[in-house]
Amino acid sequence: MAQNGSKVTRRQFLTYTLTGVGGFMAATLISPMVNFAIDPVLKKSDAGDKVKVISLDDITTEPQRVDFKKQTQDAWYEFEETLSAWVFKNESGEIVALSPICTHLGCQVAYGGDPTRPTEFFCPCHFGRYEKDGTNIPGTPPTSPLARYEKEEKDGFLYLGSPVAQL
Amino acid sequence: MHRGKGMKFVTDSRVGISNRKQNIAKDFSEYPGRTEAFWPNFLLKEWMVGSVFLIGFIALTIVEAPPLQNIADPTNTSYIPLPDWYFLFLYQLLKYQFAAGDWILLGTVILPGVAFTALLIAPWLDQGLERRPAKRPVAISFMLLGILSIFYLTWESVQTTHWDQVHEQGILQVPGEGPEIDTAAPGYEIYAAQSCVNCHGQNLEGGAAAPGLVGTAYTAEEIADIAVNGIGTMPAGQWEGSDEDLQAMSEFIASYGEGGENNQ
Amino acid sequence: MLQKIYDWVDERVDITPLWRDIADHEVPEHVNPAHHFSAFVYCFGGLTFFTIVIQILSGMFLTMYYVPDIINAHASVYYLQNEIAHGQIVRGMHHWGASVAIVMLFLHTLRVFFTGSYKKPRELNWVVGVLLFFVVLALGLTGYLLPWDMKALFATKVTLQIAESVPVIGGIAKTLLAGGEIVGARTLTNFFAIHVFFLPAALFGLLGAHFLMIRKQGISGPL
Repeated sequence: MAQNGSKVTRRQFLTYTLTGVGGFMAATLISPMVNFAIDPVLKKSDAGDKVKVISLDDITTEPQRVDFKKQTQDAWYEFEETLSAWVFKNESGEIVALSPICTHLGCQVAYGGDPTRPTEFFCPCHFGRYEKDGTNIPGTPPTSPLARYEKEEKDGFLYLGSPVAQL
Repeated sequence: MHRGKGMKFVTDSRVGISNRKQNIAKDFSEYPGRTEAFWPNFLLKEWMVGSVFLIGFIALTIVEAPPLQNIADPTNTSYIPLPDWYFLFLYQLLKYQFAAGDWILLGTVILPGVAFTALLIAPWLDQGLERRPAKRPVAISFMLLGILSIFYLTWESVQTTHWDQVHEQGILQVPGEGPEIDTAAPGYEIYAAQSCVNCHGQNLEGGAAAPGLVGTAYTAEEIADIAVNGIGTMPAGQWEGSDEDLQAMSEFIASYGEGGENNQ
Repeated sequence: MLQKIYDWVDERVDITPLWRDIADHEVPEHVNPAHHFSAFVYCFGGLTFFTIVIQILSGMFLTMYYVPDIINAHASVYYLQNEIAHGQIVRGMHHWGASVAIVMLFLHTLRVFFTGSYKKPRELNWVVGVLLFFVVLALGLTGYLLPWDMKALFATKVTLQIAESVPVIGGIAKTLLAGGEIVGARTLTNFFAIHVFFLPAALFGLLGAHFLMIRKQGISGPL
């Protein structure tokens, strides 16, 4: 049925056009849905604001546990998350804020939690131990140091962000 | 249905010339062995097996309530996660040195990926026309190896899991039932100030490391003794406080114990 | 009367060939447990399908009461199990049926493997079958989160951590699955949609292909 000089038959032309129109309809339908589905990846990650935790004057070289509340946004829900940190000044005068979550199985560690080792963090679950600076003591269950909070010192107060895992 | 010229046109509808297939069951007498028809001969037998299976299955659903634990609480840090039983072998794999730490990829991607791909393309890995298991030792050995490792890993995982802990942390606190913990009581303040709260929870609900304290059978004196001297995996010497505080806290916990005044 | 209705429909739509084709397909002696008891291994495929039918039916009815929302999911599951008539049985069917489906699927896969039934000309059906196994595992994984209880949340966190460890696409895969940075409201709705719509759609398509190929190729011959 090919016309003189024409390489495309009428049937081929119709098939190509059909594919094109079908592709147009499919693309128009699917593209907003794909964007809809991958929205979590497109969204900029919101690290969350830092929260005012404790006055700088109250921070000593002795680690102390401070509890603070942080507004957390979970899609259409907003709730207050209660977090804790062990805060102290180390030898060089730098403020350290350690997360109390044991890196073994996530129990809560406490400074001096084992009375026989008053200068260590101690996890009562499986007797995991950490140095004062959060380094895990080899031979005890944890395999990595305690996480440290992102911190900022402003107007005489300590502000804490999210805990950052130490490797 | 006929095409084109076989079609008889009646007004604007198409009605085939009456050569409809007769509704007669197929004759299987020429087939080899005792071949039979799927419907109704074989399907009846299949449904009889299905009925027996179903009776057992329904009995299971009646006897055993599907488990439901407490509502998800992301702030509970003492919960030990456990996957459904058919993923235990993968979970166990990640505990081994060669599949953890720097080698985590081996456990999470490479080993399962290789196994799954091999399963998917098995027809091309085992191309011989021989079907009998004895005649294709390589394919059969690999499959047996795979099955054995799945069984072994699941078994190991079951062995190393502390099931009493899993059971303990899985107990559902029925909403609206169970006592409301009076967090303003002096006894609670002592409880929270000491390290007790870290393991036994904000609401005495317990966790992975320690049992809940609601409904215990201990008296106040026994609780005081446990707080000081420990019990089971609970170490001694965790109590740091005065004797008055110890007594106040013990009485507070005992009041939520079995038959205690706050435990209704 | 029934015969009259059948004839009336058949005359217009010609339905006899459609169902006679299914009814008349031959079941050879070597797969019939009535003749050789050891042939019961050929029942696992049918029982898998039966379990999946149970899953589809019970799942449809569960959604009449279930709410995929972090505040209400747990309470709705508790309610439908304990307050609704026969709630324990319907949820039980879905919960235990998931495990039974995995067991049956495992046994069916082993039967096909050890009888060498995946060999030419049935390679494609084997591939579809393995994909079906994968879809059912994914259904189990996503369904595990839906009651939004402690074990659901923490097992899913572990799963997402594993997903994150995959190189290059891991981070994106985790964010996509979790629907955001934290395992929360969007994770639950995400998993619900995947569990109730996307995976069953894949399941139906693959099942259709599976059965079509069985019908076209017949059951593999005796060993």
